[in-house]
Parts: sequence; structure tokens; C-alpha cells
Amino acid sequence: MSAILSADDLNDFISPGVACIKPVETLPAAPSEPSNPYEVTTEDKVTATEAKLQAAQISLTDCLACSGCVTSAEAVLVSLQSHQEVLTVLDSEDSCSVGSLNGSLQHVGAGEDATVPNKRKRIFVASVSPQTRASLAAAMGRSTNEIGHMIDRLLLESISSNGKRGFDYVLDTAPFLSVCLHLAAQELADSLANRSEKTPKLPILTSECPGFVCYLEKTHPAVLPHLSRLKSPQALLGTLLKSLLPRYIGDDIDVYHVAVMPCFDKKLEASRAELTDATWKDVDQDITPTRDVDCVITTRELLQLADFRDVDFSTLSPKALPNKMLPPIPALQTFLLGARNLKDEQSLGLQVGTSGGYLVSIMQELQSKHTGSKIIEKKGRNSDVMEFILLSADGETEILKMARFYGFRNIQNLVRKLKPAKLRMLPGGAARKVVGKTARAPTARAGTSSSVGSEYCYAEVMACPGGCTNGGGQLKFDDSFIVDSVAQATANAAVVLRSEAKAWLGRVDEAYFSADEDAIETGRKDLIVRNRESRIANIDQLLEDWVADTRVPLDKLVYTTYRAVESNVGKVDGEMSTLQAAELAQKVGGGW
Amino acid sequence: MALKLVGNFPVQPDRVWCAAPHPHLPLVATASTDRAVRIYSLRDFSLVSTIEGGHKRSVRSISWKPNAKGESVLATGSFDSSTGIWHREERGTHGDGEQSLELNSEEREEDEEWRFAVVLDGHDSEVKSVAWSAGGSFLATCSRDKTVWIWEDMGNENYETIAVLQDHSQDVKMVAWHPEEELLASSSYDDTIRLYKEDTDDWVCCAVLTGHTSTVWSISFENNGHQSRLVSASDDQTARVWHRKPKPEKKEEEEEEEEEPSMQPPSIIKGTADETENWEEQACLPKVHTRTIYSVDWSKKTGLIATAGGDGRIVLYKEVGTENGLPDADSGASKEWKVIAQVPAAHGVYEINSVTWCPKWDKLGTTIDGELLLSTGDDGIVNIFEFSL
Repeated sequence: MSAILSADDLNDFISPGVACIKPVETLPAAPSEPSNPYEVTTEDKVTATEAKLQAAQISLTDCLACSGCVTSAEAVLVSLQSHQEVLTVLDSEDSCSVGSLNGSLQHVGAGEDATVPNKRKRIFVASVSPQTRASLAAAMGRSTNEIGHMIDRLLLESISSNGKRGFDYVLDTAPFLSVCLHLAAQELADSLANRSEKTPKLPILTSECPGFVCYLEKTHPAVLPHLSRLKSPQALLGTLLKSLLPRYIGDDIDVYHVAVMPCFDKKLEASRAELTDATWKDVDQDITPTRDVDCVITTRELLQLADFRDVDFSTLSPKALPNKMLPPIPALQTFLLGARNLKDEQSLGLQVGTSGGYLVSIMQELQSKHTGSKIIEKKGRNSDVMEFILLSADGETEILKMARFYGFRNIQNLVRKLKPAKLRMLPGGAARKVVGKTARAPTARAGTSSSVGSEYCYAEVMACPGGCTNGGGQLKFDDSFIVDSVAQATANAAVVLRSEAKAWLGRVDEAYFSADEDAIETGRKDLIVRNRESRIANIDQLLEDWVADTRVPLDKLVYTTYRAVESNVGKVDGEMSTLQAAELAQKVGGGW
Repeated sequence: MALKLVGNFPVQPDRVWCAAPHPHLPLVATASTDRAVRIYSLRDFSLVSTIEGGHKRSVRSISWKPNAKGESVLATGSFDSSTGIWHREERGTHGDGEQSLELNSEEREEDEEWRFAVVLDGHDSEVKSVAWSAGGSFLATCSRDKTVWIWEDMGNENYETIAVLQDHSQDVKMVAWHPEEELLASSSYDDTIRLYKEDTDDWVCCAVLTGHTSTVWSISFENNGHQSRLVSASDDQTARVWHRKPKPEKKEEEEEEEEEPSMQPPSIIKGTADETENWEEQACLPKVHTRTIYSVDWSKKTGLIATAGGDGRIVLYKEVGTENGLPDADSGASKEWKVIAQVPAAHGVYEINSVTWCPKWDKLGTTIDGELLLSTGDDGIVNIFEFSL
């Protein structure tokens, strides 16, 4: 689980921590609408207006700007992005379509103009991660394909029975992952070819894991230049939908995009100011930017959502929906059909990892430029560290090296090596003899470790040990959603492994990798090369169409930015602050 | 029987948190709120050197690395959330060659300086305790950020994080290693003590010791080959002794195997299965303290336990046979703990932050019989006691 934000960590504070720098206070009441004192109003409307004036809340965006406690406040997370939130929005849509003209329930970004009498319509799109399908497949004892169909049935059909609103489209994020993988390989190739201000420093670090991104921004800003500027598949698909879908379904319709992810930190990612339409669209400054992903729910929350609508997920039919529709975006449809026919060649027995396979995919794409070269795997000091070396055809020269680091402890060792030397030392450390002369500047030895970090050109980094299949939002081994037969089998396997958690994770990983098995079996080398070329052509076509359709430069669509988060929590500039820290410590009861 | 004050170190300007005797030299290091580490001689109780300027806030904890060859290595844990590693070359590493440390050695001054080597950062908040494992290959640190970290010394002043243990739900107050095994213990504001060991390639929590009803401030292992015991001191004003329960009888397992052979894993794998730590409370020391007990230390030499705390009192306990020589009716134990000495107001009105046993040395730098007990207080004083029969 992510050390930054994990389900286990969520019971710390119910309210913001004492060190929260965001003042919690009731904001001055917003200037009330110019209301006509003689106007006849309804009770509903009055309560709705009152609700609007409630105390200011701490949003996830505030938390991202702070490195204090707040990121772990369960209350904040749950109220802003959860299955309940998704249902609330779905329900509000339903009631509005029946004819309520009140705009007060409108979601942020849908336009604040209260004089518009008609609420804008929404199109609901869900995107589902492969790790989510793997977790559910393991829990239900089904294949990931079948689970995909069951999720389709849940979101497109089941939850919309009884006259309620359901989703309009359900997408798999895997094809968009392949877009990211291709772009990531290009980014690395660019960095290797010419190092400039615009390209990330080597080694490039994967930016797909929001836990890791937040950790760097808050704790190790000096390492940020190494971070890949590429958006995650979740964010990329978000931008794609928000930028293209309205063009084909009408500008008066809002797209509400829900991502189903293995990870709590993905909620934080969706709340980033860098991932809104403000970064790729010319928008009026007065209008609140719309997020590219409106809401993220975890694998477990997907099942809870089903529960809330009285649907038993495990009893849904595993057969494909006969009439499943793709969003009416021509470029997207062409791409998805193409991606279906060109099944990814995948790993050829390499250990791709459980987090999308960034490293292996990038290495394979670079390998294709070195005829006859081969990839060597080396196990690291624990199962979450793996080194990959691209060897030249003669087997003598190491062309390049990459490594995978999963889990907080391994991240520590990577990050420490990437920090500039001066930040690794205590400033002004000195020792002196009792009767000695003045203190001498310390002679901290540089070097023993400084070069280690740079031997790699790329590092696939994920905050969770075991990678994304082990994300904080996944089902745990003792989850009540796991069907009995599976739970029994896991318990049996646990006797040998001495850990139910490990046995369970093994099953999820197996399900995750099973999606590729067919490809590996039929994966003959010549076929693979051809496949790769057609696959890349298919991706390039999508990107080309996307730019042409939106007239936005590709950079603005697929790349993002990061910022160091300055914090005054826990940092001390003098005696005064020490006192404050002591006071705070006493308040939380920790003492020294 | 009495605990007699035999001296003290020159007074320090601010609160002294703890003291740590050098593994083989007549030296003791102390950690202070004034951000300095002071090193004193145990031969004449004089100040030998001061290490300062490295940490930005209080140095809360110190630990000497055992088995450091040819040099002394000190780890310092600070409220500035970092851990520092300091080195000093040793001249004549054999006990008696240590005169060079203090004796007028103008020309050696440079060599004798403490050299700052590495800063280990990663903790989010104050580091509360640091401890080297018995073999010196691991360093454990714990923090107000609720985590316990284990670092491996990779040589060449290169340290790697090998575990970040997030089992505690609150501030972790202290870490301590088993004197022989690679078994780590931590105590916390969450009232528990946790034990950790390595499992395949990851460190895992293998036991949780519950019983204290408030913060567990301090823990100390017994150094006794044939059994493993741990003493803990708490804000609930008690000190408790915990022991590793003997492994269950083999017989039962064999019977089970016959009943359900299909459920049993192959015997090769099973060999490791009974390594799970099984600890339980063995005794609660006689209650004397009237306020929080901040520190406890189990003498490696005499088996005596010393405690001290907020009430300014130092208490010594000894394990003796029960009065009638028979096992106690309630606990079944044939031994019990008795208070054998105490010093009230050992630091006047000030609280005592730590008590530490350390070897006794003569003026020439040879270890002699007997043992000293150091207490460190909020008054900046380190008192030196000796227990005599």
C-alpha cells in the first residue's frame, strides 16, 4: 500500500489534523442572488440555497497544496470522491431530467450562471483499470474478460434499473495505457538523444503512481526534474474524453468521467489543478476549471456502489453485452478497434510487473533499434526490486540499464541517490575537542553512493509493495466480497505460504497476467515486430486525429507538470517554531 | 543494600535525554536538547569531546555501533527528523590503549575529531530512538511519524532502507534489538510493544505485546543465553517483564498430521512455520513509581532492572526465589521481583529521562568489577550511582 495515502492510514484523523494550515472557518456568505422579495419560492429551493452557505470545507486540492496531515483525513476523501458521490450525481441527474429547474445542485464546473433555467445534461463515462478487473476476477473466481463483461452489465444496465440513471459508456484503460507506454518510450528516447531543459533528467522516473508523485512534490522536490512529464492513463483518457466527446455529442452536454482504480491516491491525482481543462483549453478565468476525471472510485467501492443499488455483483451474467456502444468519437473508435485486432505482444516471458509494464515496454521499444540485442533480468535485493539490462548482440556491451522499484522502502534508496549531494548532508556538522580550537567544517565524504542512481536511464517506481495489483483500493484477502470457494482456496494456499495476504496477492497477480497469456503463447518474433509497428501506427493515428480534432498541441494534451509543495508544517525556522511544535505535540498527546 | 551517588559529569546547559556507554572503551555519550552529543570518560568522569552543529533540533537518542573495526561509530537520532552517523578513528583499539583519547595529544587533535559521515533521512517527524543490532549490520530508527525504519549498513558509509514498518498506530517511542538474535522490538504511544523479524525478503511484525494501559516509553532486553525476556516501562506507572513462550510440544502436531494429511504442507516448508514469536507477560514489577516511568534498563551483567521517571525516583529490582521456595499460587512462577533499592528525588525536583547501566573502569582504563548506573535529567545533570550490597 502506498505509504503516502493508504486505507490503513485513514483512521488517523477524522477531522483535519492540528497542524493543518488551512483555516477552517465559515467563509463570508456569498452575495445572495438578486432575489425578488415578492417572488414565490418553494421550500426545496430555500433549503438548497441554505445548504450552499455551509461552512467552508477542506478540499482535496487544498490538501495537495499542503504537506500536513490532511491528506489522510478520511472524512475529506470519502465525502469528495466516493461511490456515494457517484450515486449522488447520478441521482441528481435523474431528478433533473424529470423537470426540476433548480440549478443549485449543479456540479462544480458545470457553469455557475444561476439564471440559466435548464440544467445541462450529462453523459456518464466510466473507465476501468486492468488491476480492478484482476482483483475482481480473483475474488469471483472468473476470468478478467468475464469480469469486464460483468462490470459493463453493472454500470450500463443493472444500476439503471428502477428508473435510475446509469452509465452511458464503459471503457477499459488498457488501450490507453499502451498509448502512454509508447509516449514514455519516446520521452526516454528524446532524453537520451539530447538532454535539454525540456526533457526530464535521467534516470526518468515513472509518473504513473500518484502516491509517488505527491511524495516527491512534498518531500523531495529536488528529484522532480527526473519525473516523467507524461500523464497517467487515467488522466490521458480523461483529457481525451473531455476534449473530444462534447464535439460529437453536443457542446451543451457535460461529460462526467468516473475512473475505477486499484488505488486511493488516484483520487488525489484526479483533484490536481494540473489535470483540468484549464491546461488544454482557453477558458474564462472566472469559470472554475473542469477536472479531466470527475471522480475516482476504488475496486472495492465499485462493489459497494453495486450494493447501494441492491445489485449482487457476483450474480451478474459474465457474457458480453450484445449492444455495448463505444463513445461516438470516430478517432477513438478506430483506435479501439485497431487495438483489439493487434493484441499486445507483451513480455515474452519477461517479468513485466503489475503496474502496467512501463519499464519492459519502454525497453522493448528501445530494443527494436538495436538489432540482435537482448534483455537480461536481474533480481534485486528483494522481490520489489528488479534490474533490466539491454545487452548488445555480442553480449559484451551494456547498452542501457533500467530498474524497477516498488514499495516505500525501495523508493527511499532510489531517491536518496538522486538527491543532490549537498542535500544528503547535515549542514555544518562539526565536532570539537573540549579544549580544542574552533570547530572544523565537516569533511563529509561525497561519492560512494552518488553515482549509483544514475547508472539507470529509467526507473519504474510505484509506491505500493507488489505494485498496482496490491493497491490500497483493491480487495484484501479477508474481504467479505470474496466468494466462499475462492476464500477457501486462498486459505489452503496460505498454509504453504504462511501468509493469506501473500496467497491472495498471488491469485490477483495471476489473474492480471492471464490477460496476456494467449499473446505470449503465439508470440513468434517476426509476428511481434510487425505487431509492434502496426500497434504504434495505430497509436500515432489516434494522437494525430486528436490534435487535428481539438487543434490543441499534443504537448498540452498528453504532458503535465509538477510543483514543489512548500510546507511550513513540521519545518522549523527558529526557537519560536520549536515551541509551536512542542505545543502541537502536546495537543495531539504525543509528547516527546 | 543501597544505591550510592559516586559522582556526576560536568553539568550541561539543557535537558539530557539519554546516555550510552561505548561498547568497549571507557566512554559514555549523552544526548541533549542543546543539539549536542557530549562524550565523557568513565575513568575520571571528565568531558572528552562535544559533537555539535550537525542537528537542527534536540538530539533525542544515541547508539554506538558494536563491532566497528578500528573506529568508533555513533548514530544520533534527532527531533529534526534525521539520523546522523558519526565516525572517529580509534587509536590502539585494545582497551588499555585509550589514553590517547584524553591525554595531551595536541598533534593528534585532527585524528581525534568526530567526522560526520552520513545523514539518514526519510522520517517525516521527530526521530525518537535509534539502535544498532547486536552484530552492527542493522540500524533501527523510530519516529513520531508512527514508523520504524531498518537501515542496512552496506559498507563504505552507504546505508539502505530495508524496511519501513507501519504497524504502530501512534508515535513510536523506542526501538531495541535482541542481544543475540536479529529480532527488533519497538514501543509506542499506542500502548503496545511490537516485535519484528525478517521473513523471506521483508521485515514483518511477528508479535504484539499488549497489557500496558498507556504509552510504553522504554524497553530493554535481558541478556541471558537460555531465555529471551524483555522489560517495558510505561506511562501507566508500571514496568512489566515479558518472555518468549516455550515452543509447543511436537507431539500435538504429529497427531494433527495423521488426522488430516492432505492439509499439511510438505515437511521442508513446515520447518519454518513454528518460528512465529509467541510472547506473553511474565511479571509486573512491584509498583513504586507515582508518575510516568520514562526509562528502564536491564543490566546485562547482574540481571538487575533499574527504572526512573517523572517522579524523580530511581528504583532497582532483583529477581529472587519466592519466600517459601515454592511456585507462586497465582502465577505458577518460582521467582518474583523485589525492590532492593531506591533513590527518591535523584535529580531534585526534575524529571529523570533515562537510567543506563554501564561498566566500571579504573583510572588506568581497565574494566573492574562492579557496575555503574547513570541517570540523566531535565536539570542537565548526569548522576553516577553505584549499587553496593
